[in-house]
Amino acid sequence: MRDLASVMWKECAEMVGGQRSLRVFGIAVILMGIAPSLLARHSVLNAVFFILLRIFYVLLATVIVVANTAPDLVLHEKVGRTFDYLLATRLPDWAIYGGKVLVAAAVGYIAALVAVVLQLAFGAVLSGQGWNWLFLGDATGRILALGLTADLSLYVAVVGTFVALRVGEQRSAYLVTVLSIGIWILPFLLGWWKIGTTAVWFAHATELFAIVAIALGVLGTRLFRREMLVLYLQE
Amino acid sequence: MDSNAVECRGLTRTFGDREAVTDLTFEVPTGSVFGFLGPNGAGKTTTVRLLLGILRPTSGEVRVFGLDPVANGELVRGQCGVVLDQVGLYERLTARQNLAFAARVARMPVSERSGRIDEALRRVDLYDRRDDRVSGFSKGMRQKLAVARALLPEPRLLVLDEPTAGLDPENIVMLRELLLSLAEEGGRTIFLCTHLLAEAERICNRVGILQRGRLRAVGEPGEIAGRRGPSVRLRLSRMTAADRLALPPGAHLEPLEGDEWRCVLAREDDVEEVVAALVGTGVGVRQVTPEALSLEEAYLQVIGGGEHA
Repeated sequence: MRDLASVMWKECAEMVGGQRSLRVFGIAVILMGIAPSLLARHSVLNAVFFILLRIFYVLLATVIVVANTAPDLVLHEKVGRTFDYLLATRLPDWAIYGGKVLVAAAVGYIAALVAVVLQLAFGAVLSGQGWNWLFLGDATGRILALGLTADLSLYVAVVGTFVALRVGEQRSAYLVTVLSIGIWILPFLLGWWKIGTTAVWFAHATELFAIVAIALGVLGTRLFRREMLVLYLQE
Repeated sequence: MDSNAVECRGLTRTFGDREAVTDLTFEVPTGSVFGFLGPNGAGKTTTVRLLLGILRPTSGEVRVFGLDPVANGELVRGQCGVVLDQVGLYERLTARQNLAFAARVARMPVSERSGRIDEALRRVDLYDRRDDRVSGFSKGMRQKLAVARALLPEPRLLVLDEPTAGLDPENIVMLRELLLSLAEEGGRTIFLCTHLLAEAERICNRVGILQRGRLRAVGEPGEIAGRRGPSVRLRLSRMTAADRLALPPGAHLEPLEGDEWRCVLAREDDVEEVVAALVGTGVGVRQVTPEALSLEEAYLQVIGGGEHA
């Protein structure tokens, strides 16, 4: 665990030292935190639609931030030629991989939480009706905003890390990672899965997605090998 | 304690059809300074990666302090400090943060970290720049910081892959002095991949010369330089190709510049016989000078021989 903590410390220090990830984080969180309240103020659409829109923005903040952060944590090592050093340390493979994935996932989850807080704060300020808990007052809303964002962060972090290891270019890695989330919409569009609207349905869906994300993460620790990275660096 | 820090037996690594290193067999005694010499693309970096267990050998075996680096990667790398040809410093971090990460990776006790990081920075004259980001550092400063990072956990084996590549003369001298002081301190094994043959001759106890993935020579610098047998430098006149045939067995002539020739002898005593043979064929022998090859000359001969092989 100390090795994992060491890698996470380094990744966090680099994120603080770098401008790009922080900029994306700031823009995504502010936009996704403020936009729904601004729309709600000027629109005549119904309240249920806006609740869904607010949740969608929170999920979107997660996706944007993690899909940027996860490839960046890999690609800046490639561009800065620091991977060779990292591989020459005594750090185990799983710690190098796990540190990157967990930091990317944590940043995504924090982005979702900050977006929720901003939505609550701006909702109170702009609505003129005082404080209310918006979608957090509802069980389904809480599951989506606090549970599904956690799953989504981990899933996108794992996929983004592996995509970056293969694609090797920031913009392409970002697009492929976002596409990997779009895949999940297909079964619904094709009518294979039906979206329920109850808290129970969303709770089960969140649990299942968590299992998929964790399984994918564990599979990643098996697939991530130093030798694979050396060959990647030689490409 | 292991008598050899590094042992390679028939070490081979291929990438597809290409053989990066082939049948390497050598030892690096514990506490010695081993110079690994060879032109670009000879396979030095691949060998370093094999020593550190980052790559698996295709065949043959490698042991570092008696351990297989692939099976015991953490243990082996934990005893090594590494400066690679791409130094791999984190540009977004400060000098101190770079060393702090190395200290964490080495599991250095928290109480010791700060003191040892300051000490390492002072040693390479970077203490005053400790809180500056590496992105603002010159190439020489980066190289010094990379050496400080490698030395921080006090490794038993220090692996330096072209530490002077791309440096200006002033920084080369600085780094050479640092390497000399490390070599003189003793107690640690240094595996130095370099192009700087004069430095290797001064610092290294043993050297290996690698060319196109094959080890062409390995031994002490003086031993390699003298391996082709004793030689003399001759200034000759009226020399023709046919006159070479008159030389005694084991001796042969190589043209140098102008009227100068190098004569490699089977034995040191053969020099009189060579001179007599040449004079007998009508060649004018104007000067005979005993010659000691430098490592650089020996290297060029070995590499040159390999090119023609």
